[in-house]
Amino acid sequence: MNIKTKLRLKFSKSFFYIVLFLCFFGCKTNKKESFPVSHSKTGKIEYAKGFTIEKSGPDITLVKITSPWPNAKSAYTYALVPKDKLPAVTLDRNAYDAIIGTPVESVVVTSTTHIPALEGLGILDKLVGFPETKYISSKAARNRIEEGQIKELGSNETLNTEMVIALQPELVVGFSINAQNKAYNTLERSRIPVVYNGDWTEETPLGKAEWIKFFAPFFNKEKEAENLFSEIVLNYNNAKEIAAQAPTSPTVISGAMYKDVWYLPGGKSWAAQFIKDANAHYMWAETQESGSLSLSWESVLQKGKNAEYWIAPSQFTSYKGLGNASEHYKQFDAFKNRNIFTYASKKGESGGLLYYELAPQRPDWVLQDLIHIFHPNLLLDYDPHFFKPLE
Amino acid sequence: MRPKGTYTLRFGILMVALCGCLLLNISLGSVSISFTDTLKAIFGAEIQNKSLTYIIWNYRIPKAFTAIMSGAGLALSGLLMQTLFRNPLAGPFVLGISSGASLGAAILIMGLSLFSGILSASMVTDVSLALASSMGSFLVLFLVIGVATKIKDTMALLIIGLMFGSITAAVVSVLSYFTNAEKLQQYVYWTFGSLGDLSWNQLGILGIAILVGIGISIFSIKPLNGYLLGEHYAQSLGIHLKKSRFLIIIATGILAGSITAFAGPIAFIGLAVPHLTRQIFNTTDHKILVPAVLMYGSITLLLCDIVAQLPGQAEVLPINAITSLIGAPVVIWLLMRKRKMIF
Repeated sequence: MNIKTKLRLKFSKSFFYIVLFLCFFGCKTNKKESFPVSHSKTGKIEYAKGFTIEKSGPDITLVKITSPWPNAKSAYTYALVPKDKLPAVTLDRNAYDAIIGTPVESVVVTSTTHIPALEGLGILDKLVGFPETKYISSKAARNRIEEGQIKELGSNETLNTEMVIALQPELVVGFSINAQNKAYNTLERSRIPVVYNGDWTEETPLGKAEWIKFFAPFFNKEKEAENLFSEIVLNYNNAKEIAAQAPTSPTVISGAMYKDVWYLPGGKSWAAQFIKDANAHYMWAETQESGSLSLSWESVLQKGKNAEYWIAPSQFTSYKGLGNASEHYKQFDAFKNRNIFTYASKKGESGGLLYYELAPQRPDWVLQDLIHIFHPNLLLDYDPHFFKPLE
Repeated sequence: MRPKGTYTLRFGILMVALCGCLLLNISLGSVSISFTDTLKAIFGAEIQNKSLTYIIWNYRIPKAFTAIMSGAGLALSGLLMQTLFRNPLAGPFVLGISSGASLGAAILIMGLSLFSGILSASMVTDVSLALASSMGSFLVLFLVIGVATKIKDTMALLIIGLMFGSITAAVVSVLSYFTNAEKLQQYVYWTFGSLGDLSWNQLGILGIAILVGIGISIFSIKPLNGYLLGEHYAQSLGIHLKKSRFLIIIATGILAGSITAFAGPIAFIGLAVPHLTRQIFNTTDHKILVPAVLMYGSITLLLCDIVAQLPGQAEVLPINAITSLIGAPVVIWLLMRKRKMIF
C-alpha cells in the first residue's frame, strides 16, 4: 500500500536526468499534405489526470502529457504518425516534443510499473532493454531476460546512456521527478525519442491504471487497452459495491517505523483511497497529504493502538521480525490479535516486490484483496493476489 | 581564577536546570500527557490510559537518558579534542571517528545488498547498526592511534585524521551511488541522528562507555591543562606526552564512537558546547570545564530534543537539524557579545 516506497524507487532512479527535447524521428519534409489543426478526442480518458490523447487529422495521434511530474509547468506533446505515412506527412518540428513512427517495434521502459501494461497489451516482445532488470517480477518478462532478449541497461536504476544508444530502440519511455534530465537529453540528441510516463503522479487507483491507454497508440493497440481497462473498471466498481454492503467498517492503520518515526500513507493518497473503497476506516483518512506522512510513533500509538487491522507494515513479513525490530509494535491490538497483512512476501524470482510492479495496473485486485481481509464473509473462495497475513 | 563559592553556586544552578530539562523533556512530546500524569507515571502510580505509561517508560525516559548521555559525551570529547589539538575548530569527529562510523553503517545498510543482490533489510537492526558503526569508528581510531605512536607532531595527526575522514567519505559515496533508493534513504536517515528507540540494554552499554570515557578524562585533567600551554611546556611539567595523548584519543574514541553507534552522528554539540562553557564560566581550567561541559552538553541536547519533538504535533524533526539550527546562533551571539574568545 505504500505509495511512498514506490515513489522512492522512482525518485532514486532520477538522480541524473535532465530535460530536453527535440528529437525527430525519420521526419522527412517531402511535403504532400498537411492537416488543419482540428483535434478530435479519441477514446476518452476518464480517470487519469496526467495525459490526453487526441486525433489531429486522419493519420496523426497527439499524446499530451500534462503531468509528467508533480506541479509540472508545461505539458509535453508527442505526435504519433503511422510509419508508412511518415514520408507523406509534414509536421512543424518545433510544435512537438517528439515525432514518433508507429507501430513502435522496439522500446525501452524504465519503471517496473510499465511492464504489466506491455504484457497486458501483448507487446512484451517489443521490450528490448530495462535498467536494473532484477526488480522485474513478471514471469514472462523474466524469461525474456534469461534469454537475453531484454538487455540490462545500467545499474543503480539510472539508464546507462551508452548502452541505450548502442541498442537503438525506437522509443524510450522514461519518467522524471522534475525537468532536470541529463541522460534523456543525450538520447534525444542521438535521435532516440524519449516520452515521459507520469503514471506515478496519479492519485487515484483507476487513474493510475488508465495509463495503459498511454502505451496503446505507440503500438496501435488502442482497442486492447480500452477492453482491458473497461474490465478493470468494471471489476473495481463491482468490488466497491460488494464492500459497501458490509455491515461494519473496521479501523485500519498502515506503514511502519524507521527509528522512532512512523511512515504511513497520507489521507489523500492512492493507498488510502483503496482502504476507503474497501469500506474500512483508515485512521488518518482526514489528513490532506497525497504522499506519505512521517509521524512520531507515540502519536501513532495513541491513535492506532486499538485499530482492528494493520496493512502494509513496510518490508516486514513476520511477527517475529516486526517484534525484533521494535518492542513498540507489540503494543498495538492488530499485533496482539494477529491482524497484520503485508504485500512484502510476494516477491519475483530476483527479489523485486510484485506489488510495486503490478498493483498500479491492477487496482481491482488490490481492492479485492483488501475486501477479503476487512470483510472475511464477502468474497468467499478468494485467493489474494498481493496481501498475505504476516507469518 | 574565581573564588570557589561562585562555581559551587553555578554548578548548583546547572544541576537544577538539568533536572528541570529532564522533567520537561519527559513530559513533552507528540502525545499530550499532563504534567501530573507524567509524574504519576514516573513514580509508578496508576493512570487511566495504560499506553501513556508505556510511552513514558519505554520511549521518553530512555530517549531522555540517551540525550543526557550523548550530550555529555559529545561535549566532553569535543573539549578533549580542542585542547589536545589546541584548535578551537576541533570537535569529536576530527579524527575521522564519525566518518568511520558512517562507513560501518553504510557498509551494513548499502554494501551488503550489493554483494548479495537481494533485500538484506532484515539484517539491518538497531543492534547490528550499532555494532557496524562502532566497528567502523574503532577501525579508523586504531589507524589514528597507530599513526599517533609514530608521529610526534599533534598537528600532523589532525591532518591525518581529516584524510582518513576523506577516504571513508569517498567509499561511502561509491556505496551510495550504487545502492537503491530505500537503502539510500535508510542511510541518510541514520545520518540525521536519532535519540529515540534505544532499549534499556543498549542504554546500559552506552552508559558504561560514557562512564569509561569520563573516567579517563578526569584522570587526564592535569595533562589537559598542560597542553593548553604548549607541548614543550607540558613536558617540563613532567607530563608523559605520548601516554596522555594516547589516553585522550582513546577516551574520545570511546565517547564519540559509542554515541555515534547508538544515536547516529549528532552534529554541533561537540564543537559548540565547550565554547559555550568557556565563555560562560570564563575559565580554561579543566577541573571546572570537564564537569561543566558534561552538564551543558546534557542540557543542550535535552532542549534540542524537546524542540525536535514539536510538542503537540504528530510530526517530528531530525535531531541533527535542530542542534545546529538552535545552537549555532547562540554561539555566534555569545562570541559577538564577549568580543573575544576564551581559549
